[in-house]
Amino acid sequence: MMGFVGVLLFHQSLKTVIPMAESRLGHPHLGLGVGLRSAHYSHILEHQPDVDWFEIISENYMDSGGRPRYVLEQIANRYPIVMHGVSLSIGSTDPLNIDYLDKLKALANVVNARWISDHVCWTGVAGRNGHDLLPIPLNEESLQHTVRRINIVQDHLERPLVLENPSSYVTFADSTMEEWEFISHMADETNCGLLLDVNNVYVSSVNHDFDAEHYIRSIPWDRVVQFHLAGHTNCRTHLIDTHDGEVIDPVWQLYRLAHELTGGVSTLLEWDASIPPFPVLHAEVLKAQKYIDGSQSVDSAAVPESNEPSPNSEAVPHPAVYVSVEAE
Amino acid sequence: MSQPKHSLDQIQRWMFHAIVHPAGVNAGIESPESQSQIPVTPQTVEAVVSRSKALTSIERLNIYSNAYLARLTECLQAEYPALVHALGKELFDQFAIGYLQKYPSTSYTLSDLGKDFPKYLQETRPDSETSDAQIDWPDFLIDLAILERNYCEIFDGPGSENQAILQPDDFVTLSPNAWANSRLISVPCLRVLQLRFPVHEYASAVRRGEEPPVPNADPTFLAVTRRQYVVRRETLSKTQFQLLNEIINGSTIGAAIKSVAGQTEMGLDHLAQSLRHWFRIWCQAGYFQSIEPI
Ligand SMILES: [Fe+2]
Repeated sequence: MMGFVGVLLFHQSLKTVIPMAESRLGHPHLGLGVGLRSAHYSHILEHQPDVDWFEIISENYMDSGGRPRYVLEQIANRYPIVMHGVSLSIGSTDPLNIDYLDKLKALANVVNARWISDHVCWTGVAGRNGHDLLPIPLNEESLQHTVRRINIVQDHLERPLVLENPSSYVTFADSTMEEWEFISHMADETNCGLLLDVNNVYVSSVNHDFDAEHYIRSIPWDRVVQFHLAGHTNCRTHLIDTHDGEVIDPVWQLYRLAHELTGGVSTLLEWDASIPPFPVLHAEVLKAQKYIDGSQSVDSAAVPESNEPSPNSEAVPHPAVYVSVEAE
Repeated sequence: MSQPKHSLDQIQRWMFHAIVHPAGVNAGIESPESQSQIPVTPQTVEAVVSRSKALTSIERLNIYSNAYLARLTECLQAEYPALVHALGKELFDQFAIGYLQKYPSTSYTLSDLGKDFPKYLQETRPDSETSDAQIDWPDFLIDLAILERNYCEIFDGPGSENQAILQPDDFVTLSPNAWANSRLISVPCLRVLQLRFPVHEYASAVRRGEEPPVPNADPTFLAVTRRQYVVRRETLSKTQFQLLNEIINGSTIGAAIKSVAGQTEMGLDHLAQSLRHWFRIWCQAGYFQSIEPI
C-alpha cells in the first residue's frame, strides 16, 4: 500500500547478501529476567537470586567508575546481561553521537552483552536532550531516515540493533502508516531485531484508538528478540507508561498471544517507580511462566485494568533512571 | 499518497520547543522557536498533532510537557537531597525549573543534568541585604549544592578501589631532600573543598533522616574521597587544606610546605612537628596512590 520503491531499490543490494533472519536473529532465549536497578544491588550480590538474566540501562553504566559499574561487573560474571539504552535517539534529525556509540560498544564487550537495544523514537533535537522517548511521525521520509541511521549504528557496533516500540501519547497529521507497518518495514530494511514491549502496545492502543491484538499479529514475529512487560497508570482518558506496578491482565493476554506467535523469546519485566523488594519483582516476572505453559486463561487472581482513575494524576513516564549517591 | 506537509526536522524542532516551554504547551506553540518551524496556533494545532477519541491535540501534547519538567526536576531532587531539604520541595522545584531553562540538558546521560546547578545558584544569588561581605542563607545553599555535586561526581567517577595505595612505610626511608623533591600523586577521587558553612554535617544528617537546623556560618575545609565505593569526607584545618590543595595541584612536597609555611598562623615548629603526623593520617585515609621523585 505504500510507495516504498525508493527504499526498496536503495536496499536491494543489501537484501541479496543478507540471508533471511533466523528466529530471534539467532539470539538465545534467555528466559525470564528483570531490569537491574540500584535499589536491588545489595540484595542481588548477597542472595544471588535464581533469576535468568538482567537488563541494564546502558547510560547508567557506560561512564561509571564507581559502585554501579563495580556491581554490574560482578553480576555480569554470573548472569547474562542485555544492554538497553534510552539515548540513542535513532529517529532524531540531529547527528548520531559517535562517542556515545563507542562507549556502548566498549561496555558491551566488558559485560558480554547478549544484545544492545534502544527505542524507535527521538529524545531531542538541536543539540538538546529531553530525556524522553518521543514518537516519530510515521511516513516514508522518517522511515528512510531511521533506516539509514540504523544501518550506520549497526555498522559501527558490528552487530544488529534491537529496537523497541515505545509507548506514546500523540500521533501526527503527517503520519501515513500505522506503527506496526513502520516497524515491520524498518526491520525488513535493516535486518534489525525487535524488542516487543507488550505493555507499550497496550498503552498506545488505548491512547491512539487501535486494536492491540492486530498490532501484535502484524509485526514480523521472527525478528522479535525480546519482550518487555511492565505496569502502567490509568488516567481514564489515556494510559501512562509509568513502570510502577504489576502487569495487568489484558497485557498478560497480549503476552500470551505474542508468545504463541513468536514461539517464545526472552522476557523482561521493567519496574522503575515505587520499586518493590527484589522478591516481589522477581515473582511478578515468574507469572509469565503460567502463560508460557499455556495453563492460564483468565486467572481469578489476575489484576484487571482499573476503571478508577489513578490517584497519581501526576503520573510521569520515566524512561531513564537516576542512580542515587551513597555517601556518609 | 499525499506528501507530508512538514519535514521530520520541522516537526521535531516544533514539538520539542512546544513541550519544553516552562509556561506550558500553548506558550510553547506560540514561541518563536516553534513558530519558526510550523506557524500553527493552539487552535490550528491539529494540522500537526492529531486528536484522539478522548483527548484534544493540546491535551495530548500536555502529557509530554508535564512529564518533561516533572521528570527532570525529580532527577535533580535525587541529585541534591540535602538542598531539597533545606529549600523545601516547592522552592527547590522553582530553582530547578529556572536552572533547566538556563542550562538545558545537552548530554545523553542524566548524570550531567545537575552539573551546573551550583553555578546557576551563584549566578542568580540575590545581593546581600546588609553588606557586601555578609555571608548568609544564599551562600549556605550554594555551598550545599557544591558539596552535593562533588559527592555525585566522586561517587560515580574514577576511584582507587582496585589500585595499590601509598602506605606510610613507603616513604619513611626517603632522605629529607628526596622527600621534599617528590610529588605525592593523589587518588583520582580525592578533592578538597573550601566552604563557608559546615554543610557536610547538614548533608549527612539529612541522609540519616534527621531534621538538622541550618548551621551558622563557619569556615569549613574538607577532603572528600571515596573508599569501598562510598563517598567519605574528613574535615581539615585551613593549613591542611592549603597543603593538600597544593599537593593535588602537582606541587612537590617541599614547594607545598614552603607555600603553606608562608601563609599559616601556626608556628613553624608546630607545623614541622605536625606534618609527619598529617601525612601518615592521609596515607592511612588512602589519599595517595604513589610518590614520585621529580
Ligand atoms: Fe519497554
